[in-house]
Amino acid sequence: MKFQIPIGPQHPALKEPISLRMTVEGEVIRDADIRLGYNHRGVEKLAEEKNWVQNIYLTERICGICSHSHSTCYVQGVEKLMEITPPRRGLYLRYLVSELERVHSHLLWLGVAGHEAGFDSFFMYTWRDREIVMDLLEMISGNRVHYAMNCLGGVRRDIDEAQKAKILEGVATLRKRSEYYFRIGASEPSFVARIAGVGLLSKELAVKLCAVGPTARASSITRDVRKEDPCAVYDELDFAVGTADSCDVLGRVVVRVQELLESYKLIEQMIHKLPDGDIAVKAPRKAKAGEVVSRYEAPRGENLHYIKSNGTDKPERLKVRAPTLANYPATVEMLRNGFIADIPLIFAAIDPCICCAERTVTLVNFRSGEETIVPLSDLRRQAAERRTNAPAKRNAVWPF
Amino acid sequence: MTDIEIVEKLRRDLGPAALEVANPDRRRIFLKVAPGSLTAAARLLRDSYDCAYLATITGLDKGETFELLYHFASTEANINVRTEVPRTAPHIASITPVIPGAILYERELQDMFGLVVDGIPDARPLVLPDGWPAEDHPLRKDWKFQRPAEIIPGGKS
Repeated sequence: MKFQIPIGPQHPALKEPISLRMTVEGEVIRDADIRLGYNHRGVEKLAEEKNWVQNIYLTERICGICSHSHSTCYVQGVEKLMEITPPRRGLYLRYLVSELERVHSHLLWLGVAGHEAGFDSFFMYTWRDREIVMDLLEMISGNRVHYAMNCLGGVRRDIDEAQKAKILEGVATLRKRSEYYFRIGASEPSFVARIAGVGLLSKELAVKLCAVGPTARASSITRDVRKEDPCAVYDELDFAVGTADSCDVLGRVVVRVQELLESYKLIEQMIHKLPDGDIAVKAPRKAKAGEVVSRYEAPRGENLHYIKSNGTDKPERLKVRAPTLANYPATVEMLRNGFIADIPLIFAAIDPCICCAERTVTLVNFRSGEETIVPLSDLRRQAAERRTNAPAKRNAVWPF
Repeated sequence: MTDIEIVEKLRRDLGPAALEVANPDRRRIFLKVAPGSLTAAARLLRDSYDCAYLATITGLDKGETFELLYHFASTEANINVRTEVPRTAPHIASITPVIPGAILYERELQDMFGLVVDGIPDARPLVLPDGWPAEDHPLRKDWKFQRPAEIIPGGKS
């Protein structure tokens, strides 16, 4: 006997709107279907009507957690189109913020993984430590979430010696704590028992379904844009790509903690090697006609922007591929033959960022089982009709 | 393989099927093929260029034609396969038999450009809502967004 259970678009286990439809047999998931579109904002269409500078701020708002990654990916592409080279100091500062952002995103994810596995003290510890890196980002950029550091031709804010010392101090603390988490994540028996063997994704499937980021790296694919396609500063720095071969949620935890440790190494190197000089050059208002493919390793995987210019001050086309979208086909395979209780854990393990992947409401008629997606205006109309047809309300009377 | 070697190998392997091979930037290769030889090109890239990874598919409205860009990537280079289909008959063969991970991008193309992907295993809309008019394709250049008049319940306007 097979049942279908809808999970989402609004569900306590999911933090963002997405609809998962599970076909279950008893406790075992036999098939999963993902329905997207609840958060589509039409960013790509909007970008065609904004100029090059306005689009930096638009791309930054594609995502709330990895905001810097989208704007960096966009900016490095447009700089190529405009044929300008940012000064070295500007580039170092840009990717310094990138790495700090990766640290905050991975710490956030570790907390969520702990929470979904029922290990809430892990969640509280990692989120406490995440405040250290959030404070560093606020000190550098003035903001905790949307840093607005990028401009065409460099960055907008410089850092001084005192700030450098504070960053190094913060990173030293975080490293000590992350090593402790690594020990817990890999050896605490009840935590390991909960996450080992859950959400299996073999290497063959990960290759076939084009998985990216830590999800792919946990299935022993060493794909990292920072190594393969080093943008600007990464080829001057020493770091390793973290991988695991266990292909499960445990592997994804291990990969992310390894990446945290590598990011601390990168941050320290960037601070020590930070060159002197300007932080930005002036960018022209228009870009020459041409096209560029810009790639960037966001915390969740590869981020790809395709930018085409027609010689005016607005892009002809901006295509955004966020990493979460690439991981959905793999997620369906991970869920298959798993248990219902593992759904939040497996789904959280790809670190989904729905608003990244998309840029309305399902109504199920419970008598006929028919489904329709209605826009907000229709819902409002229906609500208004219902109110006019409703029996007149009396004032509530206290029964005693 | 360096970029130049890849370009030469592509010319050799594809022969006349490669309409255009360009290498405008380091690790960026643009290959143009006819829509008919797209699946063959994808299979070749997967099997002998280590490009089993399709990053995404970009659609572009060029007026008379739709341009499609398949962004493949290996550890050495980013190979972008370009093809054009006429606006009057926007049909393209699905590459999911070769690269199963392409399914979401093909569904997105169908939604946004009104292309018909022949042989797609799952043709449901991906991002557009169910009540969306079938002839509206938001990323076509002639489609303009018009904000519907907002009616606030309760009579205030």
